Parts: sequence; C-alpha cells; structure tokens
Amino acid sequence: MTKVELGAVVDALRRVTVQVRTGGSGLGGGVVWNPGSLVITNAHVARGDRARIEFADGRVASARVVARDRRRDLAALELDGSLPAGEAAVLREPPAPRVGDLVIAVGHPEGHPGATTLGIIHAVDGDEADRPPRWIRADLRLAPGFSGGPLADAAGRVIGINTLVQGGLAFAVPAAAVERWLRRTRLPAEAELGVGVAR
Amino acid sequence: MSGVLQSLSKELADAVASAGRAVVAIHARRRIPASGVHWRPGVIVATNHTINRDERITVTLPDATTVAATLAGRDPSTDLAVLKVAGSDLTTASLRIDAPPLKVGELVLALGRPGPSLTASWGVVSSVDGPWRTCQGGEIDALVRLDVAIYDGFSGGPLIDGEGHVLGINTSGLARGVAVTIPAATVDRVATELLERGTIRRAYLGIGTQPVRIPASLVGKLQLTSDVGLLVVSVEAGGPADRGGLLLGDVLLELEGTAVRDADDILAKLGRDRVGKAMAARVIRGGQVSTLSLTAGERPQSRAA
Repeated sequence: MTKVELGAVVDALRRVTVQVRTGGSGLGGGVVWNPGSLVITNAHVARGDRARIEFADGRVASARVVARDRRRDLAALELDGSLPAGEAAVLREPPAPRVGDLVIAVGHPEGHPGATTLGIIHAVDGDEADRPPRWIRADLRLAPGFSGGPLADAAGRVIGINTLVQGGLAFAVPAAAVERWLRRTRLPAEAELGVGVAR
Repeated sequence: MSGVLQSLSKELADAVASAGRAVVAIHARRRIPASGVHWRPGVIVATNHTINRDERITVTLPDATTVAATLAGRDPSTDLAVLKVAGSDLTTASLRIDAPPLKVGELVLALGRPGPSLTASWGVVSSVDGPWRTCQGGEIDALVRLDVAIYDGFSGGPLIDGEGHVLGINTSGLARGVAVTIPAATVDRVATELLERGTIRRAYLGIGTQPVRIPASLVGKLQLTSDVGLLVVSVEAGGPADRGGLLLGDVLLELEGTAVRDADDILAKLGRDRVGKAMAARVIRGGQVSTLSLTAGERPQSRAA
C-alpha cells in the first residue's frame, strides 16, 4: 500500500519536474511553477540566457531566463511560445514541515531523468517565528543533477528547490523564499504570482 | 492520495518532537557543541569523547536557555559521561530498555542538538550482536550498528524508535568513526555507577603479555590442549599479579579454566565484578605447569589491562 502511494506521489512530482539544459554544460532540474509557463531552477543550473527544457512526457521547449539571483542561487525561466498549459507544482501551505517529516526529491543524476530519493527534514533553522529559514536541511542523499529540482513533502507538495549538498546534508531553498523572490522580482507574470498558491 | 505516507511522516515528526524535549546541547569543546540526553531528573548523559574539559561546562536546553552543568563522572571505556544540572523542570527521556528487543531493520531516528536547533537523521538498525568489549575494556550489552548518516553533533544524542522512546546513546567515538549505539541498559548501568562513584570499577592484573607458540615437545610432555600461550613480558611492581606471585617469563595458559590466546581473552575475564576475587591462573614455569591464585585489583583510571 505504501509502495503504491509513494509511486503515485513520485509520478505526480515527476510531471512538474523538468530537465534544464544550457549550452553544452551540465544538466539540472527545474520545477514548473505557477503559472505553468514559468520554470524555477538554480542560478548555477541556468547559466546562460536561454535553456532547453525537457518535460517528463518527452515534450521539449526552449525557455528564456527572465530572472536570476546568484546570491539566492535561483533563476526563473519563461517557456517560449504557447505551450499547452501543463501541470504546475502544488506548493505546501503552512504549517511548515517539522524535523523528522518525510521529504522526497526528484532529479536527474548522471543522466537518469526523474530519479527519486526519500529522506527526512534534518533541521529547521532558527526559532524566531517571524523570520523564515534560509535553508531547509534534509537528511537525504542527493547527487549532482538534483540541483534545481523539487523537494516535496509526503503528499508531493513542493517545499523547496534542491540546491546544494554540504557535509552529506541536502540544502534546499524554501518554496516560500522562492515565492517572495518572485514577488520582489519584476517579472511580466508578477500580477499572477501575487495571488498565492493554486491547489 | 497518500494517507499512509502522510501519517508515517507525522509519526516520525511527532517522535522527534517528543523525544527532542529531552535532548540538549553540551558545550564542553571547541567549535560545534555535542548532544546529550536528559536521562533522569537533573542527570544528563553525554559521550565522553565530546567533553574535552571538566569545568565550565554549559548545557543549552530545548527552550534555548543555557545553564551550568557539573561533571559527575566519565568512563572512557564506554565513551559515556554524566552531567548534573540543578533545578531544571526539563522532560526526562522515555527509555526503552531491553523490551521489546531491538530488531535488525527497525526504523530508527538519531537526534542531536549541535546548537539551539534539534536535528534528526533516519535509517534502520543494520545489525544487532551480543555483548562486546570496547578496545578500552568497556562492557557494552549489545553491539548495535546503524545505517544512519552521521552529522556534526551526532555523538551523545539518542537513538529513538518510531514512538519517540530512547533506545540508547549514539557515538562515533567507540568504533573508529562508525556509528554505534550504546544500548539504554548499558547507559543506565554506567550512569548509576558514575553517579555513585564518579568512575567505573574495572578489574586488572597489572601485566603485559605477548602470545607465543609453545614447542610441540612441551605440548606433548605437559599434555596441553593448546599450543599458544601468553608470555608475561611485564609485571607491575606491587600490582595484583606481582602480589599473586606471577613472574616475568611465565607463560600464561588459562585463567579460571579458560584458555587465553591473546590480551582480549584476559580482558574478557576481568569484568567489573572480578575486583577483589581470586582467580586460578595456570602457567608454564621452568618447563612445568603450575597453578597460581591471582586476586584482581581495581584498575586505576586510564590504564590498560
């Protein structure tokens, strides 16, 4: 029963996880954000101005980098043309995950698209209630190729963007921080992004 | 769509939250603090190797307050130390001592508090073996190996089950950096003794030995069952073996009727209950087998067998 459920959660997550290729360099992940024409990834994944996006179902699109923040290691890509509106990631709403909660990552390590790993939340930084954590730290085995892909909770709701590995721990930029960054960034889609999370 | 996964997630987070109320940070070394567990009211158990000083030790409680702690005792052989904190209304750990027994494959969490925030990693019990003796002679009830990632500040934290019960104290300081758990029963026993005496009693003989092969002719002549013995290469002056008449050059064959083939075999005969008790030692001296009576003494701190 758990096997079926985990498979279903991972399948849903894969549908909103894309491969991001820029130039001749490496490959990273990305998350189809709401609205569905926007892909969020790491700045270190989307190095150039343009990227080639591959969806899990094989569709391919080209995309333009519309915002990049090296300090937060975030980049936003907008898909070219009128791609049929696909699914966008469902973001987790408060309450924030707790230490010990299950987390699932999807990425593309070493040319294996849509690989998944299961772990738990390792630490939630800071007890200051009004200051959101800078990182979600997870006890989760990541490899190169997971960068830019989603970290999700047990229901498949995205809680962060996998960004780096340090001391064996996975570090993800919280989804809420991505939303705040998008709101602050003057994107064409800003008005639509201001409405919060679609379910 | 994912009721089972979500309830598992909730159970794990609940277990972490409940057990985490008894996990503290211990400031007794440079750089990163280590972890400790509030074992009994006012008593915190930690790992010895992460406590680098005997004084000026402080403890950060789950509510982020920091209080002074005093070192009640430490035992390098089991890598445990006991601290006392005054007037704390801290939650004590819910212990799972021996029952139900730990099983290979059981889902477990390792908690730590290397600072104000609680941390957790998860995995499974990878093997459970019988009692073992650490290289310093510490007696540990079971060898519990973990398939759990070790992060900074892991040592001194508890291993917990899915219900938040404490199964033991984790350390990377006993088996060359490999994660092992000191079972709760061992921790409880050592903590009790450290609180009473400040140290752990351990029997010792005061000898150094080296394995030697006994010539076949002598094995035949003396009708020995083994062709290996332990040549006594040092005898501590006035020590238990010296007082019992053991001499340099004797070849030790048996202790209490058990053949000894290396120093570990001697250690195995020197449990904490042996102090002050006579032991029969069978030795070869001058080509003849003779039996001596040795009375193990209490080993001074930080000395080998």
